[in-house]
Amino acid sequence: MTTVVAARTPALRRLRRDVPAMISAGILGLLIIIATIGAPLAAHFTGHPPTKQYPDAIAIDGLPIGVMQHPYLSDGITRDPSAGRFILGADRLGRDQLVRLFYGARISLIVAFGATGLAMLIGITLGLLAGYKGGWLDAVISRMIETAMAFPSLLLAVGLSVVVGPGLFNVLFVIALFTWFYPARIVRNATMSGARLLYVDSARSVGARPRRLLLVHILPQVWGPLLVFGTSIVANNILFESGLSYLGVGVPPPTASWGQMLSDGVNSGLYRVVPALAVVPGLALVATMLAFNLLGDGLRDAIDPKARR
Amino acid sequence: MTRFVLRRLGGGVVQVVIITFLAWMLFFVIARYTGATPALRAAGRNPSPERLAEVSHKLGTDQSYVVQYARFLKNIFVGNFGYSFNQRRPVSDILFPAARATASVVLGGVVVWMLVAVPVGAYGALRPRSMGDVMGRTFAILGMSIPIFWVAPMLSYFLAFQPTQGVLFGLHVLPKGTRIFPIDGYVRLGTNPGQWAHHLLLPWLAYATTFAAIYARYVRTLTIEQLSEDYVRTALAKGMRTSRLLIRHVGRNVSPILTVLLGVDIGIALGGTLFVETVFNIPGLGYTGINSIQTLDYPLVTGVITFAAIVAVGANTVVDLAHGFLDPRVRVGRG
Repeated sequence: MTTVVAARTPALRRLRRDVPAMISAGILGLLIIIATIGAPLAAHFTGHPPTKQYPDAIAIDGLPIGVMQHPYLSDGITRDPSAGRFILGADRLGRDQLVRLFYGARISLIVAFGATGLAMLIGITLGLLAGYKGGWLDAVISRMIETAMAFPSLLLAVGLSVVVGPGLFNVLFVIALFTWFYPARIVRNATMSGARLLYVDSARSVGARPRRLLLVHILPQVWGPLLVFGTSIVANNILFESGLSYLGVGVPPPTASWGQMLSDGVNSGLYRVVPALAVVPGLALVATMLAFNLLGDGLRDAIDPKARR
Repeated sequence: MTRFVLRRLGGGVVQVVIITFLAWMLFFVIARYTGATPALRAAGRNPSPERLAEVSHKLGTDQSYVVQYARFLKNIFVGNFGYSFNQRRPVSDILFPAARATASVVLGGVVVWMLVAVPVGAYGALRPRSMGDVMGRTFAILGMSIPIFWVAPMLSYFLAFQPTQGVLFGLHVLPKGTRIFPIDGYVRLGTNPGQWAHHLLLPWLAYATTFAAIYARYVRTLTIEQLSEDYVRTALAKGMRTSRLLIRHVGRNVSPILTVLLGVDIGIALGGTLFVETVFNIPGLGYTGINSIQTLDYPLVTGVITFAAIVAVGANTVVDLAHGFLDPRVRVGRG
């Protein structure tokens, strides 16, 4: 047990010294706070619930109000300074963009972490089975992994989303179904090489059951790579979810999600007149992805210092 | 060698069969339980029960699943993808022009991203931690974080739409109505090569952003790996010029690996061009696929997916075989 602790601590120390990774962790922490308590707080202080449509936030010519502007009087031409500002403006239907952005963070994180967790569960289970049992089971699972890696699965994912219908959990399920093979491959390969290690043999020789061998002796070897990979899968899943929402098969409206906000602004063509409609959700996505990618790089360097150059 | 080729080809066929089976399951079996049966989709609005039965019989969807699947496979084998429900013409007539448009986007994109990635990555490897390397790596991680479906509309806005309003990067410096780039649309290469490239330049940039970043990182890591090899030290000790060393020796060791990576990424290209095609209105495979999914045009979707599967698996197989020819270690090493 001491060896494990000794091996883990320097990694953590290296990670703490990695400035970009630490800033990224801070940004992600902030994002979680925004998604959990920030969203209702924003709705409370602006007085704008996320799905409420404000006709006064749309001008008479149909354009929503921009960043930091007051809504209109009922004539749709003059401003009403007594009404609260829309900090990031309003969308096509007169909903508050800031509040929707915050609630969108909630969807992004729920879907990304939920789908990653599910994918990990499936991937680890199948990977352990394939790596340990070998034979036809390994052949089947390996072919599935290879096929999934070699094919632009987004089309099938969109198809499946259309067929199973909209819904938060459907999206989560679809994404997990198309990402489990990444952890599965790592776990399978690690199990195959790990099962041959001497201490695993010695555990087997004193009568440890396969279940114990796999969970106690083999699986802990791969937590490091899985953690690094998990970070990039979460980032990819945020992209996946917003991609599906962008194509109109993600979390159904009126629930706010970043991809849907982006596609709402872009596909209506309205972003050419009110660029904030596309810029704001896009920047949120970029910042989140950047934080996950930097944190993933930092984790990789910390766990495997040889890879650092 | 023959064994290696046969095994690889056999594996490719198995993959195509798996993907087409999934697509078929999805659209001709599972979709039935959600109420959108193929016959209902094909028969038009409010069909009578007799008409529905007739259409179902014509499509063959009244037969058992085993018979249906066998026929589906046989049709793919002879290149018959069926008729589109909505466009009322053979799916293959739609697929091939669409594939040409997608190929235009992908191949141009590959050229753009390699032109960026190779110099940036190689420079970073030669001068690690220099100013240029740090900048290169910063842009790489930024590029990896930008969703393709955001960069595409942004490019279209700043470089195509705003100039028509007389604005370039926020400054009123252009006469109104300037057209630097067309906003969208597609001109076939055969029609007018100049217009073709002009229409595709923004899609290429949009499509290449992420990959330029990813490949710059690949090139950097792979080159650094090679530079620490003994043969590099020997060559330098013997007085070989750096340019010659890089091109003749390092490049030759890095390029097979890059080729394999490229093969995989060209294979899964449709996942990215789909967004580019949608934003820039390019009638490619992704655009067609998404439209046909949204309108539940089952033969067209399965056609697109089958076609994409064949291309993806084909690209992988070709690249693996090429790698096997170039590097004998690959032939025996992998099972």
